[in-house]
Amino acid sequence: MAATATPGPKVNRIGLPVLEYRGGKTTLCAGCGHNAISERIIDALYEMGVQPERVMKLSGIGCSSKSPAYFLSRAHSFNSVHGRMPSVATGALLANRTMMGLGVSGDGDTASIGIGQFVHLMRRNLNLIYIIEDNGVYGLTKGQFSATADIGSKLKTGVVNDLPAIDTCSLAIQLGATFVGRSFSGDKKQLLTMLKAAMAHKGTVMLDVISPCVTFNDHEGSTRSYKYMQDHEEPVGEVGFVPSFEEIDVEYEEGSSFDVEMHDGSHLRLKKLPENYDPTDRAVAVRTLMEAHENNEILTGVFYIDTQKPAFTDLLNLVDEPLALLPQSRTRPPKKVLDEVMSKHL
Amino acid sequence: MNHTFSIGIGGAAGQGVATPGDIFAKIFSRRGLHLNAYNAYQSIIRGGHTFLTIRAGVDPVTNMGDTIDLLIPLNQDTMDRHLRLLGRGGACIYNADTIKPGEHADGVQLCALPVSTLADITKNKVAQNTLAIGAALSMMGIGFQALEDVIREQFGKKAPAVADENIAVARAGYDYATQHFQAFARPLPMTDKKYAVLSGNTALAMGGAAAGVKFYSAYPMSPSTGVLHWFATHGRKAGIMVRQVEDEIGVVNMAIGAAHAGVRAMCATSGGGFALMSEALGLSAMAEIPIVVIDCMRAGPSTGVPTKTEQGDLWQMLGAAFGDYPRVIAAPLDIADCFTLIPEIFNVVDKFQVPGLVLCDLLLSEGRLSVDPSVLNFAPPVDRGEMITAPNGHAEGGYKRYLITDSGVSPRAIPGIPGYTHVVSSDEHDEDGVLISDMFTNHAKRRAMMEKRMRKEQGIAAAVPPPTLQGPADADVTLIGWGSTQGVIEEARAQLAEQGITANQLQIRWLAPLHGDAILDLLKNAKRTIIVENNYSGQFARYLRSETSFVADGHIRKYDGEPFMPHHIVDAVREQLAGDVTLSVPSHEVMV
Ligand SMILES: Cc1ncc(C[n+]2csc(CCOP(=O)(O)OP(=O)(O)O)c2C)c(N)n1
Ligand code: SF4
Ligand SMILES: [Mg+2]
Repeated sequence: MAATATPGPKVNRIGLPVLEYRGGKTTLCAGCGHNAISERIIDALYEMGVQPERVMKLSGIGCSSKSPAYFLSRAHSFNSVHGRMPSVATGALLANRTMMGLGVSGDGDTASIGIGQFVHLMRRNLNLIYIIEDNGVYGLTKGQFSATADIGSKLKTGVVNDLPAIDTCSLAIQLGATFVGRSFSGDKKQLLTMLKAAMAHKGTVMLDVISPCVTFNDHEGSTRSYKYMQDHEEPVGEVGFVPSFEEIDVEYEEGSSFDVEMHDGSHLRLKKLPENYDPTDRAVAVRTLMEAHENNEILTGVFYIDTQKPAFTDLLNLVDEPLALLPQSRTRPPKKVLDEVMSKHL
Repeated sequence: MNHTFSIGIGGAAGQGVATPGDIFAKIFSRRGLHLNAYNAYQSIIRGGHTFLTIRAGVDPVTNMGDTIDLLIPLNQDTMDRHLRLLGRGGACIYNADTIKPGEHADGVQLCALPVSTLADITKNKVAQNTLAIGAALSMMGIGFQALEDVIREQFGKKAPAVADENIAVARAGYDYATQHFQAFARPLPMTDKKYAVLSGNTALAMGGAAAGVKFYSAYPMSPSTGVLHWFATHGRKAGIMVRQVEDEIGVVNMAIGAAHAGVRAMCATSGGGFALMSEALGLSAMAEIPIVVIDCMRAGPSTGVPTKTEQGDLWQMLGAAFGDYPRVIAAPLDIADCFTLIPEIFNVVDKFQVPGLVLCDLLLSEGRLSVDPSVLNFAPPVDRGEMITAPNGHAEGGYKRYLITDSGVSPRAIPGIPGYTHVVSSDEHDEDGVLISDMFTNHAKRRAMMEKRMRKEQGIAAAVPPPTLQGPADADVTLIGWGSTQGVIEEARAQLAEQGITANQLQIRWLAPLHGDAILDLLKNAKRTIIVENNYSGQFARYLRSETSFVADGHIRKYDGEPFMPHHIVDAVREQLAGDVTLSVPSHEVMV
């Protein structure tokens, strides 16, 4: 299994070359932020040594929701209906808690049609990585504003957005997601690190990844363009990650740094945080996000993490194995239970 | 004909109508009597009018019947509404301190209970109810012990003093009646049978458990909520995942997610919730993920009449979700069938990987029926269809989730099996699940996939039995119904026979596939056909016509929120046979 055992291409810790993590050829526009995110997902899965067949990719509808076709072809994929991925994912992962859920949605899919499902998903803290590929528009229907577009931002046609943006990160933090952050498709290092940390987390990870739509929202007046992000991205700190299977280095700066030991023994290290920033304090995280927004900054990084709260499946009376694999003798209620039920009707 | 005895108990919501109802139901079923109970109520937690009818007899009691033998009004309002409907030989037991009788037919016995002299009403708030139960039992010729046992059970070991007190009150009522009231002409019979008393909702839930349902999701909506309550109460012990979800869109998609992961998943709602589920039924069909959705119909449209029954959702089901896709629709014929139908429909939908829809209604969902426990098969045959749940090495790299086959059914691998990973998609896709309309649309593939899915209809039709004709072949009239009207039409036929009119019955249980040819064959010699349904527009009549061109001679429809009583159908049939009336809309004689 070790990388040295077989000659040939470089392999990861489970002996797979990065090729095995690739997907179909993308049909999205060249330069679309979504493609860069797919690349980072591939890198993260490869570097974390995730067994492809154990992954269940899930998405809704939109350019972003097509992305699962462009990474990890060896995994299972469910391209559901517009805005409904949260409930499909919940059902699937409750019935099979052994799979790693990886959801990809868009800002329209999440914050418009799917907002009801999204908020209830966040409350559940299900084992799921939920990525919003956020471009502020509905790419697939040709560039109308979505609900994450900033008030005052302009479409190419000159239409001005007259409603305030929904901040999916603040929402997720308030509602109970246990790993919440924002990144930028153009920030390779930060995004990759956050994705890897996300894969080590138990509970719901909500990552809002700003992902410019080169075709409909990359112009002057947009707040989701590459240019705007270069000028306005403001990392809340530096994100570092040491996976469980790597030696942990001893030195790390006290004070403005924060080291979180994750469930599997990995370490998430947030460095250069603002003074008094505590990523385990929801109120601080939400206030910091609101302040940054008022200053026209797009804050990125890991805003909030909670490694203590049990994941949804741990709270339920669930057997460990996938429910579909239970023998028939165990799919029907036990006779004792049925007899007890029937006795009440006699 | 089957001799039955009916009790009507009415009062305001919160006055405790349910408890005497439960007590009578228990006593009757323990005497080995069949029973049918129907509660007419309003969408209100306190106040309003609720009226419970319990009808018992030695033979199966399929509906609430036409008349009441014993009326127990718990308030003046109930007295005013129902007393005039009692016939000769009937009796009314009431609290003489607070309720005044009114106009009534000759031969009705008015049984005034001096409640405040028989019991201490300052201590016992429901004394009038308990006294009335005691009195009723005496008049029905049932020994007091039966009541004492039930009361003791009700209070359990926890409150023996309270039980004693209530038994004493019941005894006082019993003895008072023995001394002052005339017993009913026929004492209630007894048999050595043993029946279980189930509501339709309980039966649907238990049927699900028997079918091996592992995932149940719902959002509360009358009259389907009882199914959720059953699963919420028993789910944990029974090893069933039960989720109350934020709305019906979430409910059905969650069920699809679970079914996708390979388990049997079910959800129940009413018309309004079903409307929200429409989109997801398309997903179930397109992704070929079988689920079962139950619609317990109430009177619509919109919020409609939340506590009243109707058969008004047939076309919603036929048209749910856009595009063409195969679906299975079935309507249980009675409460026992609510149980039996669920494992049956699961076997069909699993085999053909399509959505299965169950059209139940308030009448069955919230009604109660005595069911022979031997009918409740908790280990029915389970056919999960072609499922791949373990790697067997055959498919390495070549597995096609949507393989085009003669039957239209493609072997279904559950997620997580090496060699069988695949893409599931709501977009039209190729055999491997990959979209066919990304760069350009391959219409040949689209056509092939469409035909593959639709081919399942042939298999489904063969898997589902055609209906049969009940009753004499050469009858004067053929009554056609579907779902919950089975029992009331059956009784109407018996009444017609007594009046010299022979009637047979075609009752539809499987609505889709319909078996149009078989139906035409059954009806080809019918002398006169009348379609009976609980809706305004004749939804089934229109469906039957659209599928077979068959046009019935007459129609009996009711859309006032209450179910048919046998005499409604009998009177309408007579009216139609006698003249040129082709549409009868019976009116419900009492406001409940
Ligand atoms: C019920 C429904 N309404 C509308 C649509 C049309 N539609 C498809 S994708 C989409 C918006 C996608 O926006 P987003 O999620 O932000 O994805 P993006 O394309 O920007 O990546 C819409 C409105 C649909 N597929 N389903
Ligand atoms: S339209 Fe926008 S979001 Fe869609 S693929 Fe093109 S660049 Fe990406
Ligand atoms: Mg978008």
